[in-house]
Amino acid sequence: MFGLYGNNRGLTPFVDSLKDRSMVFTRSQSAGPYTQASFPAILCSGYYLDYGKPEGLAPQRPIISEVLQKAGIYTAGFHSNPYCSSVLGWDRGWDVFYDSLDDDLEDERLSYVRGHTINAKVVQWLSSYVKKKDRAPFFLWIHYMDVHEPYMPERSYIDMVDPGIKISQDEMYTLFEDTLLKRDVSDPARVALLKRLYDVHVREVDSYVQSLFKSLADLDILDSSTVIITSDHGDEFNEHGGLSHDDKLYSELIDVPLLIYGAGSNGVCSKLVSSLDIPPTILHLFGLEPAASFQGRSLLPVGAYVEKGAFGEAIDNKSVKGGDINKDVYFCREGDLKLIYRADPDRWELYDLKDDPGELHDIAQSSKETGRLQSRLKPRIKRWIK
Amino acid sequence: MASMEKECAGLIDKSKAVVRESFGKFKLDDLAITWTGGKDSTLALWIIRQVCQEDKIKVPKVMTIDEFDTFDEIHDFMDRYATEWKLDLTWMRNNDVIKAAGGKLNNIVKVKDLNERNQAELKRIDYKEDTFPFEAESYTGNHLMKTVMFNMYIEQYGVKAIFQGLRRDEQNARAEDDYFEKKEAAHLIPEHVRIKPILHFTERDLWNTYQVFKIPYCILYEKGYRSLGAKTTSAIAAPGVPAWEQDLEHTTERAGRRQDKEKMMKRLRGLGYM
Repeated sequence: MFGLYGNNRGLTPFVDSLKDRSMVFTRSQSAGPYTQASFPAILCSGYYLDYGKPEGLAPQRPIISEVLQKAGIYTAGFHSNPYCSSVLGWDRGWDVFYDSLDDDLEDERLSYVRGHTINAKVVQWLSSYVKKKDRAPFFLWIHYMDVHEPYMPERSYIDMVDPGIKISQDEMYTLFEDTLLKRDVSDPARVALLKRLYDVHVREVDSYVQSLFKSLADLDILDSSTVIITSDHGDEFNEHGGLSHDDKLYSELIDVPLLIYGAGSNGVCSKLVSSLDIPPTILHLFGLEPAASFQGRSLLPVGAYVEKGAFGEAIDNKSVKGGDINKDVYFCREGDLKLIYRADPDRWELYDLKDDPGELHDIAQSSKETGRLQSRLKPRIKRWIK
Repeated sequence: MASMEKECAGLIDKSKAVVRESFGKFKLDDLAITWTGGKDSTLALWIIRQVCQEDKIKVPKVMTIDEFDTFDEIHDFMDRYATEWKLDLTWMRNNDVIKAAGGKLNNIVKVKDLNERNQAELKRIDYKEDTFPFEAESYTGNHLMKTVMFNMYIEQYGVKAIFQGLRRDEQNARAEDDYFEKKEAAHLIPEHVRIKPILHFTERDLWNTYQVFKIPYCILYEKGYRSLGAKTTSAIAAPGVPAWEQDLEHTTERAGRRQDKEKMMKRLRGLGYM
């Protein structure tokens, strides 16, 4: 999606402009295809199913906020994702925590507040915080929800990148209900329109990031800040027969942008890295010791980072035979090879992303590497059941 | 800064005059102070205590209502200053309602499970249903948990006049609202006088005064709460922004209701993949 990764639709002019002062990771992997599966990696440096399948965050799993708070860092989190909310246990360790649950929404159909509201709350807090005498260094986590269904961008952003879209927000919501929610890919024109609306949201979030950077500059803290930009997962537009983000582990859902701005280490890193590495990187940036519970490794300095493969997992709730199940899916990636295991129907897939970036030609039966990668992935399958 | 100090001292002097007038009108034993641990009643209590120290008299007895759905931070704050200020503090709690609710918020309470007094109170407010949900600040909850406990305290302790931390700007009361308000006796309501020594303070005046005189307050105000009531009905107004740094002049003081779990579940479903 980002111009700096080669997308030519001009959706991220601001983030692209950060390139010269950033370390850009070109092969970063999410640890799961949806919020519940990916945030344990981004904020806890662990995997979704480490503690089985609890509702919400496992109480024994430490969040980066708790580790930092214990070290005397002031921690603030601002987001609008109900899956990362206080109700599901994600409010631990934050000195300031905003999850929008107490607020009325502009539009209840969205299920979240838009990025400009998040930014307003952040700036309100930051303006107050930076004035404090002897303030502790702070860690701020912001999560914008806008690049998320039901895909109802505002006209101002549509006009920036795709003024040909003429439908109203009500019509967008109908499109969401009739097509996306039903995972109906039978009409290519509708799928294409959904993708165009998604793209508009990417442009929208780019402008939220720009406005955040401007606020940091206005408060005179941009030059002393390091900013990590990433995403928890992608969305599918019929690359593998579906829409949105369910339980698949193909690149359209798992490949995520990742860049570190302002750490004094600039360039492009093509090592295979994971969202799991973000919390250890944050500790490194604060000059703190690695945390025992964190399974990732610091991305900085990049020269010292040794590739060890990337893993991820999710829960599959829909049986191939119809009806609800509760089976797991896993992936393991090493270099250009990606092995995927689905418990239902007990099936392995292997892709060579170099020759087959679209992951359309399963070579699990023919490749000599299948057995070796299986031996790496097998210990992870249902590992919490002993 | 000097002018702000002078201004706050002037406001306090006005309050002190009301307190002294009360001590002239009523016997010490007939007086009481309501205290919630919130910013208004804490300021009123602090001022009354100042007068008592200056005039070398005992601080009147203090009452507080435990409406069950409360913040630990408020309890901690009150425990600390009840000890430090050597207060004669009484906690009032409608245990009959809590028992009928099985000790859990949002449980359904059957009116017939309540004692005679609580049933009579529901009749007084014209509540005709057989059940109600146990919420501290619903219409019935507020009445049973707070109003009834307030009246019972006055009755049991023979209180003739009671100090309250009401402010004119907060309650949108009539401008001529008086520092002394007489409540006539009525069914289940004992006659008493309500004394409102900080009536003239605005929210801004109040925080300026806390700052100038280094008056202690509950930590929640630093976290962005602007108004504290029951836990489930108090929401953070501005996350991480202390109350006194918020835009007090252009936004309202009373916080919105915190969202319930059902509303959150609806949002989860709205995200499309539940």
